[in-house]
Amino acid sequence: MKKMLVLGAFAAMLASGTAFADTSGKKIAFSNNYAGNSWRQAMLDSYGIVTKKAVEDKVVAAADVFTTADKEVPTQAAQVQNLILQGYDAIVINAASPDALNGAIKQACDAGIVVVSFDGIVTEPCAYRVVVDFKDMGKQEVEQMAKFQPKGGNLLEIRGLAGTSIDDAIHAGILEGVAAHPEFKIVGSVTGDWDQTTAQKAVATILPSLPDIVGIVDQGGDGYGAAQAFAAAGKPRPTIIMGNRQDELKWWKEQKDKDGYQTWSASIAPGVSSLAFWVAQQVLDGRTDIPHDLLVPYLAFTQDDFEAALPKIKEGGVATHEYSQEDAIAAIKANIK
Amino acid sequence: MASLRLLLAKPWIWSFIGALLVWLATIAFTGGYGGGGMITAALSLAVFTVIVGVGQMFVITLGPGNVDLSLPANIGLASAVAMKVMDGNDAMIAVGLLAALACGMAIGAANYLLIWALRIPPIIATLSASFIIQSIDISYGRGLQIKPPPGFADFTNWQILGIPVLAILTVVFTIGAAIALQRMIYGRSVLAIGQNIRAAWLAGVNVGRIRFLTYTLSGALGGLDGALLAGYFRGANVDIGNEYLLASIAVVVIGGTSVAGGKANVPGVWGAALFLVLLLTMLNTFGVSAGVRLLLTGLIIVGVITAAGGQKALR
Repeated sequence: MKKMLVLGAFAAMLASGTAFADTSGKKIAFSNNYAGNSWRQAMLDSYGIVTKKAVEDKVVAAADVFTTADKEVPTQAAQVQNLILQGYDAIVINAASPDALNGAIKQACDAGIVVVSFDGIVTEPCAYRVVVDFKDMGKQEVEQMAKFQPKGGNLLEIRGLAGTSIDDAIHAGILEGVAAHPEFKIVGSVTGDWDQTTAQKAVATILPSLPDIVGIVDQGGDGYGAAQAFAAAGKPRPTIIMGNRQDELKWWKEQKDKDGYQTWSASIAPGVSSLAFWVAQQVLDGRTDIPHDLLVPYLAFTQDDFEAALPKIKEGGVATHEYSQEDAIAAIKANIK
Repeated sequence: MASLRLLLAKPWIWSFIGALLVWLATIAFTGGYGGGGMITAALSLAVFTVIVGVGQMFVITLGPGNVDLSLPANIGLASAVAMKVMDGNDAMIAVGLLAALACGMAIGAANYLLIWALRIPPIIATLSASFIIQSIDISYGRGLQIKPPPGFADFTNWQILGIPVLAILTVVFTIGAAIALQRMIYGRSVLAIGQNIRAAWLAGVNVGRIRFLTYTLSGALGGLDGALLAGYFRGANVDIGNEYLLASIAVVVIGGTSVAGGKANVPGVWGAALFLVLLLTMLNTFGVSAGVRLLLTGLIIVGVITAAGGQKALR
């Protein structure tokens, strides 16, 4: 996959000689609280591909995945406690809540277990957090919009799940972008929950009352639904920022083939799970210089490279990227400064 | 005047009054702009709540404790089944719809089997069934969005003079459901069971068969809804039915059907479904934040139910 990683320090690829053998006896567990959407499925796939090879190469002894079905905090807390008792050396976690799991996470830390959270991060200070620079992503959306709609105009914003740090960060970035580009004005805002159905419904309800819209800034997973809502209402198609989903990129290609439609696409790569795995491995390896908050790049596609990526995404899935140990070391290095 | 009083005595009128007020408030805010578009959008979206709402209404009318909590999972699985069977091929639309219906009916029948054979209360039975269904769906659909055939997608969006055809068909269906409820042996039996299950049994109603039929009907409507949702929202997914757990029950209650069972009406389901969509329209148009929106939605629903319930107490 030809991907554009928005990361400067990629080249700095350590010849620092990491001691592989040191973690060969270590066991890493993955605590996941939901598997029911395409993003989570891609997350599990990427994790499986990377960890299977890591176990075969004897980098770690085991990398098991534990998924609970219901997004519930108590279930996941109980699961983390089980993982402590089962003697894992590290837990990679996509958490159901940023703070409600802190008790269980603290227990794990106290038992000497390394905890690395990503996507759904935990605020407990002893854990590591792998977070994507969502604020920059929001800002970049408006920057890109300015290229496609140089005259400016009205924007519709679709927000994510209310109360999450991700929604706040992308929203803040978008506001910053609009402040830098006064030719744009956000005239409406709806909640799409990163979900196509919810987004389509929300856009359909607000659309009749909106003035002409030139662009939609959103958070990923909602672009295709917004496009459908505009089509259903018979309104002209605006520039919709996409979020790396296969159906979004496919729609983009259809529009491009028809009349040269231009846009931009960005989202957190589900494979960031594999990056979290490598961070856990690095900590187990004895590295003590790793910051607890790691900012990693998001995955973006432009007019020039999205078509090459499209065939490689599973039908109905989401674009991903499997991170290597070198990627993780580079990302850590970029955060140490 | 007398006819007005008669109309106000109908438990379902309050949901329509609520819908009208919310719509008027919204167009007052926009200065009349977009009023027609809002109605079209409300009709298009309300359809899906009405279909499952009618199924839920029959179940709830069976009496205390009867509720179908498996609808969201049912809708999710049926949407995946329908889209996989249709496989993007217009010629397979009818087969896909039948498959979704069959899938929903099987779920409904399985629900009743749990309730009847294992004597599990319906709330627990349908909730635990929904976990099983969801797991099946996740392994069957792998969390992927499966697209509908173009013909089916266009059909779900088809409008005549701004009125969605799907809404017209659903009106026809609900008239049928209202006749079944008020004028047919099946509907009268459901009402009788809801009023007093023992009295109904003594009067010769085949209680087991009616309950079985009702849960199967609810399941079938959930399955049909899943297929239609996947068409309208351009793709099946596991979460597509999530909001219909609360919405299906809310439209029944707001519509003036008794939660205690034995008293039901179909028009109220339409009024309540329109009310809920228009409420979302209003709050989105006003531009209130997500937290305030949820708060207001809750308060307004409580308000409408109180208004409808208060009227009943007067009679």
